[in-house]
Amino acid sequence: MRKSKLFPIVAIIIFTILLSACGGSGDQKADENVTLRVLVHQNPPMVAFMETFNQQFTERHPNITVDMSVVNANDLSTVSQTRLSANDIDVLDIFGFANGAQPYMKMVEPPNWQQLIDANLLMDLTGQDFLANYDNNTINDAGSYNGKVYAINLGRVIYSGIYYNKQLFEQNSIAIPTTWPELVAACEALEAGGTPCMTAGGADGWPIFVGAYGLLGAMYPDQAELVKGLWEGTIKWNDAKSLEMWTKMQIYARDMMEEGASGVAGDAAPGRFASGAVAMFPGGSWYAPSIEAAQPGFEWGYIPFPGSDVAADNQYWFGKYDQGWAIAANTPNKDAALLYLKEFSDPANYQAFVDAVGFIPTQPTAKLNTQLGTEIAPFLANFQVGFEQYWIAPKGAGQFANPWASYFQPFGTDDDPQVLADKVQADLQAGLDAVK
Amino acid sequence: MYYQFGSKKTKWLPYLLLLPGLLFYFIISLGPSIATAFYSLTDATGIKGATVNWVGLANYREFLFMGRASADNLAALQRTLIFCFAVTLIQFTLGLFIALLVNQKLKGTNLFRTIYFMPVILGAVIQGLMWRLFLYPLGGPASKLLALFGLSSEFLGGQPSEAFAWVIFILIWANMGTTMMIFIAGLQTIPSEMYEAATIDGASTWQVFRNITWPLLTPSVNTNLLLNIIGSLQAWQLFLVLVGYRNGTQVLGYLIYATGFGQTSGSTSSSFRQGYAAAASIILFLLVLVIGMSVQYILQRRERRILG
Repeated sequence: MRKSKLFPIVAIIIFTILLSACGGSGDQKADENVTLRVLVHQNPPMVAFMETFNQQFTERHPNITVDMSVVNANDLSTVSQTRLSANDIDVLDIFGFANGAQPYMKMVEPPNWQQLIDANLLMDLTGQDFLANYDNNTINDAGSYNGKVYAINLGRVIYSGIYYNKQLFEQNSIAIPTTWPELVAACEALEAGGTPCMTAGGADGWPIFVGAYGLLGAMYPDQAELVKGLWEGTIKWNDAKSLEMWTKMQIYARDMMEEGASGVAGDAAPGRFASGAVAMFPGGSWYAPSIEAAQPGFEWGYIPFPGSDVAADNQYWFGKYDQGWAIAANTPNKDAALLYLKEFSDPANYQAFVDAVGFIPTQPTAKLNTQLGTEIAPFLANFQVGFEQYWIAPKGAGQFANPWASYFQPFGTDDDPQVLADKVQADLQAGLDAVK
Repeated sequence: MYYQFGSKKTKWLPYLLLLPGLLFYFIISLGPSIATAFYSLTDATGIKGATVNWVGLANYREFLFMGRASADNLAALQRTLIFCFAVTLIQFTLGLFIALLVNQKLKGTNLFRTIYFMPVILGAVIQGLMWRLFLYPLGGPASKLLALFGLSSEFLGGQPSEAFAWVIFILIWANMGTTMMIFIAGLQTIPSEMYEAATIDGASTWQVFRNITWPLLTPSVNTNLLLNIIGSLQAWQLFLVLVGYRNGTQVLGYLIYATGFGQTSGSTSSSFRQGYAAAASIILFLLVLVIGMSVQYILQRRERRILG
């Protein structure tokens, strides 16, 4: 009697296990219904573009449903890691590969993208036809590891520029600043006229210090050499040149940034600038579509952060490889995922993506036809990958071992550049000594 | 006391019935705890399929003794204790005071109980977002209130000490309802005859509280103290939602999350260090264990002394 009751239960369990095991296969029939799970980070123009693209994609392939999740940029790596480990994602947004360990760096941890590849969680895309649409340097620099391609990168972004309100500049008879003294004078004139000089999305933390990366770049144009110098001790965060940088960063944080900027969300900052509440907005090139969307017809310009006293030193753009696509190695929807990337990489679609998002294209046939493209064109030949993409702190370094303007009041506790410079260098030196 | 459950096969029945619960406890709670202790001795990244190497006590050495990072970790530990002390002291006192108020036989006390308890049912993310809006420095309600007195503040984004104080305040606001409810439950077990007798004997309000309410509330006092201490030592979600990873504000619970999930450097490609985070978790566990056990020992002695 007992056996006769147990048998169907055991049979059902075995049948269910067999079915789920079959479902784990990486292949699927062309007309099989598929739900493609896609993960992107929060960037309003990009999300808006992806929603349109997904709609068109599913219309062309009625058997595919796209389930897209959006996460804050700060959480992208965490969510990617957990969803990859749980086999709960097919296509994921991944930032351009950066922060690789250099020969002069000791005892550093590999960056998270490398950890994911080493754990066989990202699919090898080498040999896929759509890779030919992208320029080789991008494929090699931002999506390859150990001779294999794991990601396609969709564009470079600049994070060292300042947006300015043309109308407010004209009303106050202010010329576009090309040097640090001119920027200081411009801010003083604007403040005197009752307009706060700058804002940034301080509630997200990073926009305050990333906004001043242009100042760092003006001081140290070769940022790869800066990182090497810091590790080897030939450059110190409290030497005379760095002290000048800290002094300027204090002015940036204390005098230029509007009161209350620490509460402005990253997504809200472009709208606040476009509303005319402030005259300038140190921010990345990815904000341009949001500014235009917030206030159509608003007249703005974009200039390199004039951090140096010499105009010729302020003609660089610093930035990084931004969003890219990778595929989970264990995806059960391999064909649909590859099809998704193939159609996304189609030159006509990619051009539309660049137009919508404002990335500096990584497909040679695409052009940045927007106003941003016009604004950045004069210095685009001087584009350099920035400090953040090279820097890995030594283990044991203190929490202040970074060139961040947000250490200064009102965002932090420091109000003396010399004291802060010594503290930052001491925190770095402690790490360098610890890994010797 | 021994119970008779029958003989032969039937005497195993209670153990069999306990088994699902025990298995659930081992799988959900004890298992991960033991795994954390194991992982703290490895360089695990938490990534499925990644190689895990045995590193011995290296994670503990790095956490406690390596460079300035260890000093920062110890500062976070100290901050955790300050946070625990402040939250426990204020939440406990306020919870008791409000419980005494809303336990009166007056009209409308149920409404006030509901109001005070309402924040408890909201999740940490909703609680955090509500307060971020309230504390928005460019025209938020708190900002406007300060402006009436000619003052201004960056609130959560300003001085780390101020941001830290706000997190303490918000955590108390969020959890005070639970403390209050436990006290109310305790107050309602005290026989009303004792109060009547004390009133007839001419005892003052303070004497009634000191000699009747407070001793008979001992079980609730013990429960609340332990819950407040352990809860505040482990707090991290509100730090994530309200201030993120900022120097001078981290407590150990949040530091564990940030190191485990690559949120510490400000770079989008920080590495995952779950072996190291596991070592920090074990240190936090030991801290909770030592404080929790000591407090429990003291409270149990007190309970035996008062209630017999």
